[in-house]
Amino acid sequence: MIPPPVSTDASPDGDRPAALVLGIDTGGTYTDGVLMEYETRRVLATCKRLTTRRDFSIGIANVIDGIQIEDPSAIRMVSISTTLATNAIAERKGRRVALLLIGYDPELVATFRLARRFATPEFHFFEGGHDLYGRERADLDLPGILATVDRIKDRVDAIAVSGYFSPLNPDHENRACRAITGVCDLPVVLGHQLSTRLDSVQRATTAALNASLLAVLHDFIIAARRAMERRGISAPLMVVRGDGTLMTDEFAARTPVETIHSGPAASAIGGRVLSGLDDALVVDVGGTTTDLAMVRDGQVAVEADGATVGDYRTSVQAARLLSIALGGDSHITSAREGGIAVGPERVLPLAQLAADHPEVGRRLKALTRRQPAQSTQDRLDHWYLMREPQAGLISTARDMALVDLLRRGPQPVADILKRLDVLHIGQLGAADLLRQEVIGRAGLTLTDVMHVEGSFDAWDREAAAAALETFARGCRRGPDEVRALIWRRVTELAVYAIVTFLSGKRLPPPGTLDADTDTDMGPWFFRNSLEHSHPLLDTSVRLRHPIIGIGAAAGLVLAPVAAALGAELILPEHFEVANALGAVAGTVMVTEEILVYPRLDATGIEVLGYIAQAGDGRCEFGELAHALAHARNLSRERALGGALRSGADNPQVVVEESADGLELWRVSAKAMGKPRLAR
Amino acid sequence: MMDGPRVETGRAFELVRQRIITLALAPGSAVNDQRLATELELPLAPVQEALKLLAHEHLVRIHPRYGAYVADVNASDLGQLSELRVELEGLAAALAARRATRDDLEVLDAIGQEQISADDPDPRRLFDRDHRFHVAVAAAARNDYLAQSLERFFGQSLRLWYLVLPQLDFLAGAVHKHVDLTGAIRAGDAEAAEEIMREHVRDFYGQVRALLGARDDTGPPRSDRRGKGSGDR
Repeated sequence: MIPPPVSTDASPDGDRPAALVLGIDTGGTYTDGVLMEYETRRVLATCKRLTTRRDFSIGIANVIDGIQIEDPSAIRMVSISTTLATNAIAERKGRRVALLLIGYDPELVATFRLARRFATPEFHFFEGGHDLYGRERADLDLPGILATVDRIKDRVDAIAVSGYFSPLNPDHENRACRAITGVCDLPVVLGHQLSTRLDSVQRATTAALNASLLAVLHDFIIAARRAMERRGISAPLMVVRGDGTLMTDEFAARTPVETIHSGPAASAIGGRVLSGLDDALVVDVGGTTTDLAMVRDGQVAVEADGATVGDYRTSVQAARLLSIALGGDSHITSAREGGIAVGPERVLPLAQLAADHPEVGRRLKALTRRQPAQSTQDRLDHWYLMREPQAGLISTARDMALVDLLRRGPQPVADILKRLDVLHIGQLGAADLLRQEVIGRAGLTLTDVMHVEGSFDAWDREAAAAALETFARGCRRGPDEVRALIWRRVTELAVYAIVTFLSGKRLPPPGTLDADTDTDMGPWFFRNSLEHSHPLLDTSVRLRHPIIGIGAAAGLVLAPVAAALGAELILPEHFEVANALGAVAGTVMVTEEILVYPRLDATGIEVLGYIAQAGDGRCEFGELAHALAHARNLSRERALGGALRSGADNPQVVVEESADGLELWRVSAKAMGKPRLAR
Repeated sequence: MMDGPRVETGRAFELVRQRIITLALAPGSAVNDQRLATELELPLAPVQEALKLLAHEHLVRIHPRYGAYVADVNASDLGQLSELRVELEGLAAALAARRATRDDLEVLDAIGQEQISADDPDPRRLFDRDHRFHVAVAAAARNDYLAQSLERFFGQSLRLWYLVLPQLDFLAGAVHKHVDLTGAIRAGDAEAAEEIMREHVRDFYGQVRALLGARDDTGPPRSDRRGKGSGDR
C-alpha cells in the first residue's frame, strides 16, 4: 500500500532555487506528504505514513521526517489539511462547552426540539438580544450570565455566546464577553465573529463547536510546529479550510470550526490540480470510505446552507461532499435472498491478516475442502488482538477470556462463540474493546477480491482466493460469478451515490425494494439505467463532466461506474497524494461581509437612517446609497488587509452586493491570492 | 517574515509566566530555554520569544553574558514598584468611580460576591479572585493605556503574593476593602475610591516589605537564597 518515494531530480532554473512547499493531509487511515516545486507544481517527493489516531501529530512528524529532501530549510511553506475537527465532532472528543444564549426563546427551542442541534448539553437562556432592525429587544441580563458562569466555570473548558440577531448588533455578545473575561479565564467564542448569517440556531451551533475545538486545534498546530522545528523548517504554516482555501495557523487556532471537511476539500483541489480540469466530479476511493466532491470553474463546489458534520448544521462555508461507507476494506457479506452486501463496516482484508498470521491462511485453505453448509460467514470472519488492553478497559470475565483467547492468535468468529459458549456475537458485549481498537475484525473485502484478480499483490493471494471460494460456496455460487456480483454491487452503490449527490433528489437505496413490484418510476429508472433489462424501454443517466479518480483502487472501482454514467474516467499520476497536493495548492481567501439595514424610530415606521454593521464596527448614514458605498469601500479594505495578514501574495478583491430580504443588504468582499512564501 | 509563530508564542508566554508567578521558576534562577521547551512540549523558538516578552514585563532578565534569569525580587524594586502601583491604582479607582458602566459594576459585584461567599481554602483561588478584582477596576477606568500598564505590574505583584503567602493574612481583610471600594465606585465618589485603593495597595506592600525584611540585591542574581517555592534547580 505504501508507494516508494518518488524522487525526481530537482533542477532549478538559473541561480534562484525553486520555491519548495510541503503539503500534508491527515486522513482517517494515512497521513500523506508531498514536496512540490511551487511554480511548476512538479512533485518532487511523496511520503505516506499511518495516521496515529490517538495523536495526529505523531503521524505528521513521521511524514515530515520521511520526506526526502536534502535541505529541509529550503521549504518555504507548509500547509496541512486535517480531519481533526470533523473527527473530534463525530467522536465527541471536543472539549466541554457552555453555550450562553441571549434572547433565544426557550419555548421555541423546546417546541421544535432545537436543543439537540446545539452541540452541547450545557446551554443556558438569558434575557436580551436584538430584533431584525438591530434594536434591543430586552435588557441584557448580565447578573444572570455572571451568576451562571460562576456556577459552571469549573466544569467547562470554554464558553460560547450567541445573541439573537447578533450579526446586526453584536452589542450584547460583546458586553457578555467583556464581563465573562472579567470573572474567569475561560476562552470565550462569540457567534457574530463566526457568521453573519441570520440563523440563530446555526450560529449557536457553530459558536459551540468552535469553542469545543479551540484547544484541540491549538495542540495540533503546536505539534505540527514542533515537528517542523525538528527538521529545521521555519516557514509559514497554513491550514486548509473546509472549502479548500487556506488560512494561517494563527487564524485556524481561533476559528477551528472552519477546518470542517478540509481533508476532502483538499483532495478535490488536488484532483483538479493533477488533472488540469476545471469541471469534474472528484471521487476519492479510500480504504474506509469513498468521498465525492464537485469542482466547478476550478473551485470546489460549496454547500450553500453551511456545512453539516455529524448531526450538526453549522454556518461554516465548506465543500459540498458526500462520503459513503464503501472502500477497499469494506466488508463483503451475504445478504438476504442470495444478494451480496458490500460495507458499510470496514474490516481488515483476510489477505492482510494471513500475511501476518500464516495459520489464518492454512485455516482458510482447509475451509475450501468442507461442505457448503459449513462455508458460513462466521468461519470466514476473524477477530484478532490489535494491542494489549490498558488497565481498566477489561470489565468482565468474558472480556478477559476473549482477550486471552485472541492472545493465541486470530480466531474465526465461529470458534470464539464455541469457546466462550455464546450463541451470538452480540452476547460477547465486546463493543468497547472493538471501539477502542483493542480487538480488530477481519473478513472478505474488495482488497481480497483484487488479490484474487491479480490487480493488487501486497499480501497473501492464496488466502484471499480461499476466502473468496469459501464465500462463494456459502452463497451456492461459483467464485467467478460471485466476483461479478460483488463488482456489480459496488458499481450500483457508487452510481447511486453519484446520482443522488448531484441531483439532490431522494431515491430508495438499491436493494431495499423489489424493483419488479414497486410501481414508482424512480427505482425502476435507476435499475434499468444500470441493467438495461426492460424489453422495450431503455434509460440512462449521463454525467456531463469527467470523473477524476483518486486512490489506489480508483481505477478498478470507478471504471464500470464511469462506463455506466457515460463519463470519461481520468486517473492522474500521483493520485496517492492528491489530498496533500491539494493542501498546498489552495489559495488564501478572506471574506468580509458588512450588513446594511435601516434604523427605525420607536413607532417602527419612520426610517431615521441606515446602519452599516461591519463586525464590531458600526456607522450610521442618512442615505442608503451612502451606507452601501461606505460598506463597499470598508469591506474591500478589510478583506484586503485580512488577506495580507493571512499571508496572501498580491490578493485580488471582488465585492458583491445582495439584498437579503426586504430591508437588509449584504455587501461582501472576497480577497484571494496565492500564499506568500517565506523569504 | 510574515505572521510569526504566534500561536505557540502565546502559549509559551502564558505557561512560562505562570511558572514564574507561582515560583515554580524561582526568582533569580537561571532559565534553560532548551529544557523549558522540552518540559512545556513546545518548539524552542516561541519559548525564546516568550522570554523576551517576559523581559518586558520585568519578570525575566536577559543578561548578555549569562543568558536568561528569572528576575529577582529585592527591596529596592519593591519600593519602586509600590510607589508606582499606589499612584496608578489610585488613579484607576478614581477614574472607575467617574466612568464605570452598569456592566462594570456587575462584574465588580460578581467578583465581590464570589470573594465573600467563597470558603475555598485554596490560596491560589483566593489570589485569583483578588487579582481579578484589581483587573476589573482597571478595566472600569476605561483607559486602555492605564489598564495595560497595570497589567504589566500585576505580574510582579502576583509573584510577591506567592512569595509571602504562607505568612500573609492579608486577603481576608482585603475583601472588605474591595466591598468598600465597589461601594465608592458605585456612588461615583472618585475621592473616596482613590483613597481606599491607595491605602489598600500601600497595606499590601507594607506587609510584604515587613516579611521580606531589608534586603539589597543588585546585579545579575547568582543564587536563590530564599528557598521558597523551590524551582527547577
